Amino acid sequence: MRFLARPARYAALAAYILFLGFPLLWLISASVKSSAELNSLSVNLLPQQWHWDNYGQALERQGLVRSAWNSLVVALTSTALVILIALPASYVLARLRGKVRMAGVAWILVSQVFPVVLVILPLFLILRTLGLSDSLAGLTLVHMTYMLPFALWMLQGYVSAVPVELEEAGSMDGASRLTVLRVIVFPLLAPGIVATAMFGFVSSWNEFFFALVLLQSPENYTLPITLKMFIGGEGKVALGPLAAGAVLAAIPSIVFFSLLRRRLTSGLMAGAVKG
Amino acid sequence: MSPAHPNRERSTMKSRRALLACALATGLLATACGGGSGDDSGPVTLKFQSLSDQPAAIEATNKIVKAWNDEHPDVRVEVVPAGWDGVYDKLITQFNAGSAPDIVHYEAAGIVPFAVDGYLADLSPYLSEQTRADIPKGILDSVTVDGQVIAYPTELQSYMVFANRKLLQRAGVEIPTGPTMSWEQLREIAKATTKDGTYGLGWGLSSPTAAFMALAPGFGGKYFEGTGDNTTISIGEGETALPELVHTMAYEDKSIMPVTLTQSGSKTLAPFYEGQIAMTVQGSYQAANIAKDAPKGLDWVVLPPLAGPAGPEQAANPQTLSVNIDSEHVEESAEFIEFFTSTENLAALNEADALIPATNSAREALAGKLGSANGWDAILSSGEHLTSAPYLFVDKYAQWKDTVATPAFQRYLARETDAAGLARELEDGWNSISN
Repeated sequence: MRFLARPARYAALAAYILFLGFPLLWLISASVKSSAELNSLSVNLLPQQWHWDNYGQALERQGLVRSAWNSLVVALTSTALVILIALPASYVLARLRGKVRMAGVAWILVSQVFPVVLVILPLFLILRTLGLSDSLAGLTLVHMTYMLPFALWMLQGYVSAVPVELEEAGSMDGASRLTVLRVIVFPLLAPGIVATAMFGFVSSWNEFFFALVLLQSPENYTLPITLKMFIGGEGKVALGPLAAGAVLAAIPSIVFFSLLRRRLTSGLMAGAVKG
Repeated sequence: MSPAHPNRERSTMKSRRALLACALATGLLATACGGGSGDDSGPVTLKFQSLSDQPAAIEATNKIVKAWNDEHPDVRVEVVPAGWDGVYDKLITQFNAGSAPDIVHYEAAGIVPFAVDGYLADLSPYLSEQTRADIPKGILDSVTVDGQVIAYPTELQSYMVFANRKLLQRAGVEIPTGPTMSWEQLREIAKATTKDGTYGLGWGLSSPTAAFMALAPGFGGKYFEGTGDNTTISIGEGETALPELVHTMAYEDKSIMPVTLTQSGSKTLAPFYEGQIAMTVQGSYQAANIAKDAPKGLDWVVLPPLAGPAGPEQAANPQTLSVNIDSEHVEESAEFIEFFTSTENLAALNEADALIPATNSAREALAGKLGSANGWDAILSSGEHLTSAPYLFVDKYAQWKDTVATPAFQRYLARETDAAGLARELEDGWNSISN
């Protein structure tokens, strides 16, 4: 029976991949089906007739490209800012002991308990006072603020996993604190930074409510707002163009993940410390 | 018009209002030094937040706005497109923060609470006598709060029966052609056409409350008495008649395709296209989708409006145009809405959206233009029977709908409770919510 073990493992893996990938396959299939086929009883992955017009409609109708660009700018900028702030802050949280750390941790936890509907109005008013309402800069600031606590929490776990002995060894060899951080700690944190960046990017890319309320001008709309506009009143849904828009919307995320995937390696520190 | 979509958002309205009141205090504190800016020179610009979603309707809206802007260089209207999804949250933030657009597009069931909270201008002084006389009383009542007209109604939908002509004829059924048809006729036709693997009727009742509430006036059903917080519920024969009829057709006559009771209206169109069901009850706007998506060989027809023992009335929940009370240009905004709802414009907009105009003249204009194509004659005639409904003015209606009525109706249609149990659940649920 042992000769069956490997094929069984591959079969299980294939089934798992199919399970994970099927919604995406179905989305792609729906994006090239006509409205008549989508509203028929036929259940087929390959369309009876390829209907590429959905992509044309998705691109033309709601300014999808402009929205995608807005989403990309907001997601990349807020992610970069979050990492920039969270990286040193998480190091402090992980390494320091005492009341400052406790206060920091408490702030992170408390900031997670406020419902969005409670903070949206003060945020709106503050941004308006700053002249940042209805702007991508304002939305970036909000996304960054909203992501920061969780990013801090996430990164602090990675920092804690870096053995203090490595830093001590560096210090013993004469490295300054900054050199230790730059040469030893931050490189070891690369998988954590990548994971946090992915979390930040996806959170911002998919965020709907803040964008819905804060952005007033169509030229500033982000992708989730634009995609939602394919869903109309009375339950009307332009399913084909919506699916086409969703496929196009997934591309930047896929590219971003592909670029960062190689960095997301675990076990980087395996064997770094003996004993 | 289906109240299903935005009404669900009202369920948390009260609690959100309370939360937002706290948030507003915080926000105002934070922005105490902030100030607004105004520009009194140059032409007036009105922001018109439009929820038009169909490409043809967007085009029609833009065309109307362009015509206005060409005629009124001193009062320019700028369309700000927005989506239906989440519009309640967007509006409540905009109104609380003082950044709401001048002209607000929404629907009666959603906009009434904003009027109650004092965010909307009274349009009564601006509503011309001609327009007032042109709007059926029942529809005007649906946008009247405390004697004030808080919105112009624009577009409506009704529930209609779409039928496969060949299947009806094959069953020897004479297709009804009168001004209305009775529910008993529907039942008989459904029974006659249920044969050879075909069901007489398919009705997407996965969220049944909207349809049961809209069609209840035909049976004399009101559900609620009073308005706002002072509301009582009453479930009697008028209220349970339609659920009981559906139940009977599904389980005694076996003339309703069972699976459709668990599906949405749109999903029920697929078996209609395939000839598995002879008739389907749908929102009238589906006529446009059926015309677009139905197989070429499908010969379909829209049957006359359904009439119950109390008449053919259905509850109206029109799409609306309102004016922000804080707008610096309430009068100009109202003038624009008068222009927007002129006969020609309203007919063009409703044709593009496949909906029923809220004014008699626009409905007649559309009927004259479209004739009987795609069942427009029957659909437009149903517009005469749309009337206001008490649920539009009831606080906590959406909460009751989502947490009490829909599960109770679903249980009843799934034979998990009987009619008496349904009535008890509806009443007890309301009492627990309202007390």
